Amino acid sequence: MGDAEAGKKTFIQKCAQCHTVEKGEKHKTGPNLWGLFGKAPGFSYTEANKNKGIVWGEETLMEYLENPKKYIPGTKYIPGTKMTFSGLKKKSEREDLIQYLKWATSSLRKYVISQNF
Amino acid sequence: MSSWSRQRPKSPGGIQPHVSRTLFLLLLLAASAWGVTLSPKDCQVFRSDHGSSISCQPPAEIPSYLPADTVHLAVEFFNLTHLPANLLQGASKLQELHLSSNGLESLSPEFLQPVPQLRVLDLTRNALTGLPPGLFQASAALDTLVLKENQLEVLEVSWLHGLKALGHLDLSGNRLRKLPPGLLANFTLLRTLDLGENQLETLPPDLLRGPLQLERLHLEGNKLQVLGKDLLLPQPDLRYLFLNGNKLARVAAGAFQGLRQLDMLDLSNNSLASVPEGLWASLGQPNWDMRDGFDISGNPWICDQNLSDLYRWLQAQKDKMFSQNDTRCAGPEAVKGQTLLAVAKSQ
Repeated sequence: MGDAEAGKKTFIQKCAQCHTVEKGEKHKTGPNLWGLFGKAPGFSYTEANKNKGIVWGEETLMEYLENPKKYIPGTKYIPGTKMTFSGLKKKSEREDLIQYLKWATSSLRKYVISQNF
Repeated sequence: MSSWSRQRPKSPGGIQPHVSRTLFLLLLLAASAWGVTLSPKDCQVFRSDHGSSISCQPPAEIPSYLPADTVHLAVEFFNLTHLPANLLQGASKLQELHLSSNGLESLSPEFLQPVPQLRVLDLTRNALTGLPPGLFQASAALDTLVLKENQLEVLEVSWLHGLKALGHLDLSGNRLRKLPPGLLANFTLLRTLDLGENQLETLPPDLLRGPLQLERLHLEGNKLQVLGKDLLLPQPDLRYLFLNGNKLARVAAGAFQGLRQLDMLDLSNNSLASVPEGLWASLGQPNWDMRDGFDISGNPWICDQNLSDLYRWLQAQKDKMFSQNDTRCAGPEAVKGQTLLAVAKSQ
C-alpha cells in the first residue's frame, strides 16, 4: 500500500500547479480532483475523457499516471491530453500519490489525524 | 467523436475541387455531429465553440493540413526526427501544441511563425540538443514552454529570445551542467522554473534576477554542493523550493533570509550534517505559516549542540514536517540512529 505522506509531497511537487484536491476549490489549468475516485470527471478538458467514459480508481490511475498521454489500445485512456506532465515512471511513486489522492479527494479526509494531510 | 483524415478528398466527376472539398468537410462535420466513428487510422477531432482539438498518435497519420479553427493540436509518439514543413500552416488560431515523444532532433526556425497566438508548447521527450535562433520571434503570447527530457547540454540565452510573456519554463530532465548568466533577465512574468534532474553543479548567483514574482523553483536531482546567500535574494515571495536529491553539504547562513511566503521547502536527500545558526529564523512561524511543509530527511545530521537552533525550530514546526521517521542522526555515537525530533524533544 502506498505512503500517502510521500504521495502528498509528490502531489505538491508535480501536480499542484494545475490541480486542487479540496472540495469546492476552483479549477486551475486542470480540474479540481475532489470526488476523483469512482466518478467520471466533470471538467471538459479536451473532451476526450467525456467521450471515453473513464471511471477513476486505483488501477486506472496506476496506468494513466505512468503515461498520461499515451493511448493504450483496448483501454479507455485519454489521448491528446492537455497535461504537460509526462508521467511517473516509478511504481512506488504512483502508489504513494494514489494513496494520497484517495484521502485528499474524498470525505476520508476528516479521519486523517496527522496534520500533514 | 469524429476523425480527421490525412487524405485530400478526390473530386467526383465534374465538380470543382473546392466545392467537393467543402462537401467533404460538411460530411465530416455531419459525421462528427452524429458521432460516427471513422477509420482508426485517422486523428481524433473534437469540436466545440472554441474550435477544433486534433489529436494524432500512431497508427493515425500526421495531417497535411489543419482546419482554420484548430486551437489544440497533439502530434505525439511518432518516430520523427523532424517535423513536416508547414505542419502549422493555416492554423493561425492555435493555442496549444503538444509534440511530446517524437524523437525530434531539431526544429526549423520558422516553424512557429504561423501560430502567433500559441500559449503552450510541449516538446517533452524529444532529442533536441539546441534551439535555432529566432524560433520564438513570433511567440510573444507563449505562456508555457516545456523542454523536459531532451538532450540539452548547454543553454543559450539567445534561444529563448522573444518569450515576453513566459510564465512556465520546464527544462527538467536534460543534461545541463552550467547555466549562462542573465538567463531569466527578461522573463518578468515567469512564475515557475523547473531545472530538476539535470547535472548542475553550480548556479550563477544572478540566476533568479529578472522575474517579478517567481513562485516555484525546482532544482531537485542535480549535483549542487552549496546553497549561497545571494541566490534567493531576488525572490522574497518564492513559495515552493525543491532542492532535494543534490549533494548539498553547506547552506549559507543568510540563504533563506527574506523569504516571506515559503509554503514548501524540500532539502531531503542531501549531504547536510549541520546548518548554520539563524538559517531557519525567517521561515515559518511566527511570521508565516508554511502551508505545505518541509523535508530535511535523508541527510547525515550530526546531532550536537550546533543544531540547537534547528531543534527549537523543529519543535515549533513539527506538524509541518514530512518524513519524520526518515530524519535521523548519523552521529555523534550516543544519538546515532535516533530521529531528530526525539533528540530535539530531549533538549
